[in-house]
Amino acid sequence: MTNYLLRRSGQMVLTLFLIVTLAFFLVQAQPGDYAAFYSLNPDIPAEAREQIKASFGLDKPLWQQYLIHMKNTLTGNFGVSFGHYPRPVIEVLAERLPRTIVLFLSATAVSFYLGFFLGKAIAWRRGGVLEYAATISGATLFTAFTPAFALMMIWIFAFKLGWLPVGKFLDPLIWRGAEVTANHVFSYMLATAAAFVVFAFLTLLVARKSGRFATGRLPFLIIAAGAVAIPVAWAFTGIGYLALDILRHMILPIATLTLISFAGTMLLTRNSMLETMREDYVMAARAKGLPEKVVRDRHAARNALLPVITSLVYSLIFAIDGSVIIEGVFSWPGTGMTLLQAVRSEDLPLVMGAMVFIGLFSLLAHVIVDVLYVYLDPRIRYQ
Amino acid sequence: MGEGTSLFEDAPEIDLSRGRLDLALVRLRMAWRTLRDGWAVFVESRIGVLSLAIIAIFALMAFSHPILMATVWTPDVYDPVTGYAFDRFEHPSPPDWRHPLGTDSLGRDILSQLLFSTKSEFILGITAALVTVGIATTVGAVAAYYGGLVDSLLMRLADLIIALPGISLLIVLSALFNLNLFYLALIIGVLGGFGGTAIILKSQALSIRVKPYIEAARAAGGGHFHVIFVHIIPNLLPLSLLYMMFTVTGAIFAEAVLSFLGLLDIRMSWGIMIHTANTGGYLLAGANYWWLIVPAGASITLLCSAFYLVGRALDEVVNPRLRRHDR
Amino acid sequence: MTMTTADNQPLLKVVDLSLSYLTRQGPVPAVQSVSFELGRGQSLGLVGESGCGKTSVANCLMRLLPDNGRLTSGQVLLEGQDLLPMSEEEIRRFRWRRMAMVFQAAMNALDPVYRVGQQVVEAIEAHGIEETTAQARQRVARLFRMVGLDPQLMDRYPHEFSGGMRQRAVIAMALACDPAVIISDEPTTALDVIVQDRILRELKGVQRELSMGMIYITHDIGAVAEVTDRVGVMYAGRLVELGDTVDVLHAPMHPYTAALMSSFPSISGEKKALGTLPGEPPNLVNLPTGCPFHPRCAHATEECRREFPPQAQRGSQWAACWHPLNGAQESEQS
Repeated sequence: MTNYLLRRSGQMVLTLFLIVTLAFFLVQAQPGDYAAFYSLNPDIPAEAREQIKASFGLDKPLWQQYLIHMKNTLTGNFGVSFGHYPRPVIEVLAERLPRTIVLFLSATAVSFYLGFFLGKAIAWRRGGVLEYAATISGATLFTAFTPAFALMMIWIFAFKLGWLPVGKFLDPLIWRGAEVTANHVFSYMLATAAAFVVFAFLTLLVARKSGRFATGRLPFLIIAAGAVAIPVAWAFTGIGYLALDILRHMILPIATLTLISFAGTMLLTRNSMLETMREDYVMAARAKGLPEKVVRDRHAARNALLPVITSLVYSLIFAIDGSVIIEGVFSWPGTGMTLLQAVRSEDLPLVMGAMVFIGLFSLLAHVIVDVLYVYLDPRIRYQ
Repeated sequence: MGEGTSLFEDAPEIDLSRGRLDLALVRLRMAWRTLRDGWAVFVESRIGVLSLAIIAIFALMAFSHPILMATVWTPDVYDPVTGYAFDRFEHPSPPDWRHPLGTDSLGRDILSQLLFSTKSEFILGITAALVTVGIATTVGAVAAYYGGLVDSLLMRLADLIIALPGISLLIVLSALFNLNLFYLALIIGVLGGFGGTAIILKSQALSIRVKPYIEAARAAGGGHFHVIFVHIIPNLLPLSLLYMMFTVTGAIFAEAVLSFLGLLDIRMSWGIMIHTANTGGYLLAGANYWWLIVPAGASITLLCSAFYLVGRALDEVVNPRLRRHDR
Repeated sequence: MTMTTADNQPLLKVVDLSLSYLTRQGPVPAVQSVSFELGRGQSLGLVGESGCGKTSVANCLMRLLPDNGRLTSGQVLLEGQDLLPMSEEEIRRFRWRRMAMVFQAAMNALDPVYRVGQQVVEAIEAHGIEETTAQARQRVARLFRMVGLDPQLMDRYPHEFSGGMRQRAVIAMALACDPAVIISDEPTTALDVIVQDRILRELKGVQRELSMGMIYITHDIGAVAEVTDRVGVMYAGRLVELGDTVDVLHAPMHPYTAALMSSFPSISGEKKALGTLPGEPPNLVNLPTGCPFHPRCAHATEECRREFPPQAQRGSQWAACWHPLNGAQESEQS
């Protein structure tokens, strides 16, 4: 197992190196001079130019520039943003990254669960109405033109029904007079969510270890109690209404991203299930007289999960692209929208920074998938 | 149809000494048989047939545009980019019999734009798919045939490419270069060809490589080049046809997204139509201006889904394990 | 779940069992009017070439049929109870509890993601055989010892087992609920000869000891001779000969049995030329008329082509043949 993880980490480092190199050469290859971008940009005061030039080695030969670029990237120095002058790129991105992570994580978690659940169901009952409905609607959502679909969601839920806000991260009217910044509230929300996940996980872990306890409803009741306690606790903090506002803004983008990405997992799970259902151990499980649900969930689906996890990387990459588009449409100020704004305003340092960030993000997705796979497949775990 | 008739298990059982012509004939006959058997399985998938019909309708639409322009449509009114509907006082104007899908905010006929764009989508999709297949079959065959270092290098490269979020990368590229339809097709094709498709075709090529007729070809004195291009690649083509479908979907989708975001150097496309509506602020006016967004949005979704679903139906042809119990 | 059975009633009685698979080319009769009986502590072999319907019979008995399998007629009476009309839930309770199976590809019959012991415990708990998980685990430990496995191996994963160990684990799993009948479907084909032989003997030993009924499915005449009391020979979905193993092997009545015997080395060690069977088993979609074996049979006559033969009897042995070998009493029975 250690070998496997070591090898994979080695590949990750190599990939990261290649992404950073690619970023450098793309900038070199583009028509126009990167140095000129900095030195001719009227937004940047003259005294800052010399310093920037020096930190990027823009007057040095190409190979030295490359080495400096490497060092800068690894130390998080992407230069100064043109659009947000004089804030450094890293600061702009660091502020926006958590928002993207929240959007991305919640949407992928929900869509994975939904996709796996539906895929399992349609494979188990082949040829039913459900299969046709799910395949067609799934494939349509999967290939739906994301921006148009997102706009349709806004049109229905924000305009026609008026249930949810149109876009953006918060409602300025509510925040007028608030004494805390949005980022402040948001980081508390993140901490709460993380704490809850850890709490739920530990509860289930304890439940599993202590035998009989696992079969009862108790662990779920405890988790549910935790889920109820959180909003109550927030109500007493005085900033609960602000958190609620952010939450309301989160729902539509997350729902949209979930809808466009669950189908991939669903269709994949279906195919994977169809293959595992032919395995002898599924037949054996049925012969053992296990209830159908146990045969389906504990044997067929549990094994069908493995190839789905392997391909989870592609679903995650798909969701990363999806979140860029959705952030653009919903004006959700995360990394993706930062990238789009930077591209439109030709804010090159920010573009490159965002690219490296998104690259890092997808690498991280890879690592998570690898660890998950090792955890789920004993054939790799015990080697 | 039993396991034995799996479409890609058939090896051309031929006597190598009988010459090129015979080889070609045997291959043709096999290809014909493969096609016929494959078609029989394919038509069992109602979704696949329906999708094929949708693609055919779009193809007809693409062909109809130049014909309409040459016959009933006058260019100064109906040109998708420079036309202007003088017969209307207000734009965008709702559909009527002269402009079946209405006009956009700049007074251009929506139907003409839609039909014109269909052609570019096909050109884009097919170019990208051909580039992908060309590269992926070669990469897959070479990696499988030589193995070792060549294989590792090509496969690591493929791993790297599939780890990249494609749309995001294209957005970055659009900031650095002026992307037009051709470059876009080329980039998507190259990314697909060196990426995921290459990995899948390589595993297929591996199973072809160990077939007796490859050994026979080697023993008969065939060079590496000969074996790869005459024996391995032709046998990879049916499978690569399948992955062409997915590339087409990806290419059309990517073009639409980038056009919608206003990042491409293209005169007219479905994505641009939505982009125009969006920048004019008509999108959230909802049902009042439906013809600005629904035809283009639906076309993108329909054509993408159609290619995707045809791909999936072909997948069941190629991969017998997905089929329903022998029925 | 204990059942009282009258002493004169056989443990398992299969009457006129027929099964078809619906396929694109129409229904394929995989099993046709198969009847046999199995007594307590007795073992019955089913032999034949691959594709003759042996495994289909086993699947019918367990009612584990693929979606396109249709039972067209018959009864499967286990301790007097007919399994075929049972509901899914009833048959689920019945499976493994009264009739268990040792699978054809034991290598794949263990789920790779669970510990081996857990997979046996699962069966025990599904039928409520033991009160607690701890008791179930003790039972598994006993079963492991019975089949010659170290109980400590319970908490290992299948991929950590060798082929022989997995086979033993699968046998232990089959014994988990004290079944009355155990079906072994070519349990040792994937193993090397020495391990095969040892496991076969242990299987036989366990079956005697627990006085279970066993149906042993194989194409290996040697194994049949070693393990079974009675043997049935199947051809093209039909049982064509049935009798005591000794009788059938020494004096086969059906020409097919004789041909099958001569294509294996003699078990008694006497040297004779290995005969081979010409041709292939018929395509079930398109069965020949009359006796399905007639195109390959040296003794075939006009009536063989015309009509399926009646049973020719000799003692407790019978064969469905117009021209039985080794002298039959020409009585007709069915």
